[in-house]
Amino acid sequence: MSGITLSGLTKRYGSDVLAVDEVDLQIESGEFVTLVGPSGCGKTTTLRTIAGFETPTGGTVRIGGRNVTDAPPYERNTGMVFQDFALFPHMTVHENVAYGMEAEGGYTQAEIDDRVEEMLDLVELPGFGNRYPDQLSGGQQQRIALARALAPEPDALLLDEPLASLDKKLREQMQVELRRIQEEIGITTVFVTHNQEEALTMSDRLAVMNEGRFEQVGPPGEVYDRPNSRFVADFIGTANIFESSVAGVENGYATVDSEGTAIEAVAGGGVQPGDDVSVIVRPERFRFASEAAESDAGHAENVFEGEITFKRHLGSSVESRLETVDGRELVVAHRSGLHEHEPGDSVTVSVDADDCRLVTR
Amino acid sequence: MATETSTGNEPDESGRAGIASKAKWYVLSYPLVWLLVVFLVPLGMLVVFSFWVNIPGGQYRPGLTFENYVRFLTQSVYLQQLWVTVELALVTSAFSLVLGYPLAYYLAHLDRPWLRSTLLITIISSLWITYVIRAYAWQVILASGGIVSSIGVATGVLESQTSFYPGYWGLIVGMVYVFLPFMVLTLYSSLRNLDGELLEASKNLGAGPLRTFRKVTLPLTKNGITSGTALVFILALGSYVLPRLLGDASLRTLPVLIEQQIMSESNYPFGAAMSIGLVVVVLAFLWLLVNVTDVSAGGLGGADVASDDDDVQRPDSGAFSSVGAGLRSVAGAFGLTGIVGRVLAAGSDVVTAVGPETRESVIRVGLKGYVGAVMTYIAAPLVIIVAVSFTPEEFLTFPPDGFSLRWYVTFFTDSGWVVSLLNSLAIAVAAAVLATSIGGVLAFALDRFEYRFESVLGAFGVLPILIPPVIIGVAFLVFFLELGIAGNQLSIVVAHGIFYAPFPFILITQGLGELNRSYEEAAMNLGASPIRTIRTITYPLLRANVVSGALFAFILSLNEYIIAWLLSLFLVDTIPIHIFNQLRYSYPPTIAAASTVFILLTVVVMTSIDRLSGGIWQ
Repeated sequence: MSGITLSGLTKRYGSDVLAVDEVDLQIESGEFVTLVGPSGCGKTTTLRTIAGFETPTGGTVRIGGRNVTDAPPYERNTGMVFQDFALFPHMTVHENVAYGMEAEGGYTQAEIDDRVEEMLDLVELPGFGNRYPDQLSGGQQQRIALARALAPEPDALLLDEPLASLDKKLREQMQVELRRIQEEIGITTVFVTHNQEEALTMSDRLAVMNEGRFEQVGPPGEVYDRPNSRFVADFIGTANIFESSVAGVENGYATVDSEGTAIEAVAGGGVQPGDDVSVIVRPERFRFASEAAESDAGHAENVFEGEITFKRHLGSSVESRLETVDGRELVVAHRSGLHEHEPGDSVTVSVDADDCRLVTR
Repeated sequence: MATETSTGNEPDESGRAGIASKAKWYVLSYPLVWLLVVFLVPLGMLVVFSFWVNIPGGQYRPGLTFENYVRFLTQSVYLQQLWVTVELALVTSAFSLVLGYPLAYYLAHLDRPWLRSTLLITIISSLWITYVIRAYAWQVILASGGIVSSIGVATGVLESQTSFYPGYWGLIVGMVYVFLPFMVLTLYSSLRNLDGELLEASKNLGAGPLRTFRKVTLPLTKNGITSGTALVFILALGSYVLPRLLGDASLRTLPVLIEQQIMSESNYPFGAAMSIGLVVVVLAFLWLLVNVTDVSAGGLGGADVASDDDDVQRPDSGAFSSVGAGLRSVAGAFGLTGIVGRVLAAGSDVVTAVGPETRESVIRVGLKGYVGAVMTYIAAPLVIIVAVSFTPEEFLTFPPDGFSLRWYVTFFTDSGWVVSLLNSLAIAVAAAVLATSIGGVLAFALDRFEYRFESVLGAFGVLPILIPPVIIGVAFLVFFLELGIAGNQLSIVVAHGIFYAPFPFILITQGLGELNRSYEEAAMNLGASPIRTIRTITYPLLRANVVSGALFAFILSLNEYIIAWLLSLFLVDTIPIHIFNQLRYSYPPTIAAASTVFILLTVVVMTSIDRLSGGIWQ
């Protein structure tokens, strides 16, 4: 097994479209890294550059220490699962899974047959060898595509939105399944998705991409709790964002002015009075007034008063929208069954300064 | 993400790694050499030759004289025959439209699939059978002692046996017969594209069937009408066999005169000048279409605006639509739509006098009767040929008074016929391979790589079919004579291979357009080299298109007469040439037997194309 290193990777189309802009990324052997971002952010182009379907305009791609930047796709030993699976329609499942080993050559028929069986067992579809792709359901096709990619023992597994065409239930099932298989083999994996939830639940690390650059690379918890840009905060999860300017900094906390409201927040390194910043607050960090007493806050609380305008159940949690007295909209979330506020109720919510993060604009 | 290659000096912008950027020129060079060197050079030579000086007795010398053009444009006999050519084409288009529209309408609304495919296969099969056999069928029908004449005498309409050919109406009957299928198929695809809900909406709003037709169907199929009419007009302009076999001396069309200059007079420069004249007529017609009317969009296939929701532009569509946009305006130019509309309006007024129930059934019965008559017109001649081929008599009789296979025995034992058959098959197989390789590689290159002037290259792929075949024949003859290889099978193979390359090109382009690119990427990702990918993935997935394209080229080459005849220099005999020559002297029933074998072959091949492609005609 082997890691993947991207250094200064750049892909330009024509003279003015910059799809990937000097990207650096070190993926450890056996690691599951997700490239996540809105459509057109360059994540698929990055993946296709690793696979060799795109020639980078600049920079290098290394797989297992070998510089493969100029190697054609068939000399890179990566296994890719395509968004539409791309199972060869004129071949059986067995022929599909055997294809990579046959192309590589040097295997006996018995070795190939054994490996195909092993792969079909791995994806829990034993005995499906004689079927044709059009006789399989979407989820089964997905598993066969995975088996086909893994059969030639690739150095890295590349997944291009492989769950996008599945329905919600099946998608969640496959998220777990995919991760199980990946951990079982311990293969270095690059996963591309536009679905931030998928990125959070599946990866060891995720790289949030925007306009051809990595905004933030880190483990899911870190990216969620400590977003380093307004974009990351907004794209990953839900965020309340207060555009502000720094009024003062003291003891590691900053007081900012957001359109006339003072907010206390954790000051990151190097924030100076007068800086334009955004304050990020995750919805579940708010507490309703009744809870405030339980808090052992040793420092400032930010308090907002307002009226609930909208409420929706998300199953395990409830999300409420508040219009504050000074006309802002807040999104507040709490565990379901905890509060019985209804739209029209006037409420007071507060948030600990430690849960308010500053990102520079 | 694909962007225009405005900067031609950068390497492959589409960025498909693993394919060297030089590869695209290697791939393109193969079809380009054929199309540029072996297609454009002959046409260029034709232009040059038209200015050369003729030396009576089959010689010519280089020079720059306008004598040939002056002769063509000042002698009344040529101008008169030029007008005859245009008039025949106009009359043929008009009749084809009137006969073809109700049939196409009926087929499009027929809800019994087996009947529809039977009727379509009949129409399509007759389309590909050589003009020689189909003209011969009408000779059998229209001859003194033939079916029409015999029925006339028997019913007392005619006093004695009369021949209805050669003559103007005999020729028109034959020309409409051969070109009607083109009209029906173009209109059919246009009518099939109509949204059924539109028709229901119209009926729901209280419009009767005639009103619905006049206000909804007819306007929405205007483009189909235009395309079909233009297609028939252009094909009829280039027609040679029909005027020769069914027309008299006064009905010699331009292609006939050209052939005579080449084959009888050996006056190549004048033949070349007249060929250029014919090209100019075709181009003038296209120019007229583009400029006189303002109809736009769509293609030769008759796609209509109402159903045209295809956002994805196929590589060939540029070439098609520019030509097609012009072609489709022709009906507007001739006011055909208006005329049909007015006739129907008049009919509608008459029919409104009776009750709606009666009206509907009158229309239905009337349409069925009309369609039956037109289908008989399309199918009967070939059925009659098949029937008379079993006659035991020395001369053709109808109905045959007995059953015998003696003429088939003659066909398969006479060395002249057998040699022609083998020549035909060998040429057609080789031409099909050549046409498929040219069309296929060009389609592949245009699909895979980006070139400057891509639409021009795409146009090359379809250009040959728009040029009258007699001109292709003369151009190739001049070319091969210079190279010293005229008068053999090879020259015919090359000419057919290039002339029919558009068919595989279009079919394979279509297949490549529908091919999901990630299949090939998956193969390469799994370690397959580009060659292995093409062999194990691309080709198997395109096989139906490739084989259909090859079969099309095969059947077209098999049935082609005029190019083969010009290039044969009397030295090569194919079945169409052999039949044509026999028709000059006598009418042995062997011709009917040979025709039957050919019809059978064509029907079998066309049916397999249909099967292979999963019903391309449906």
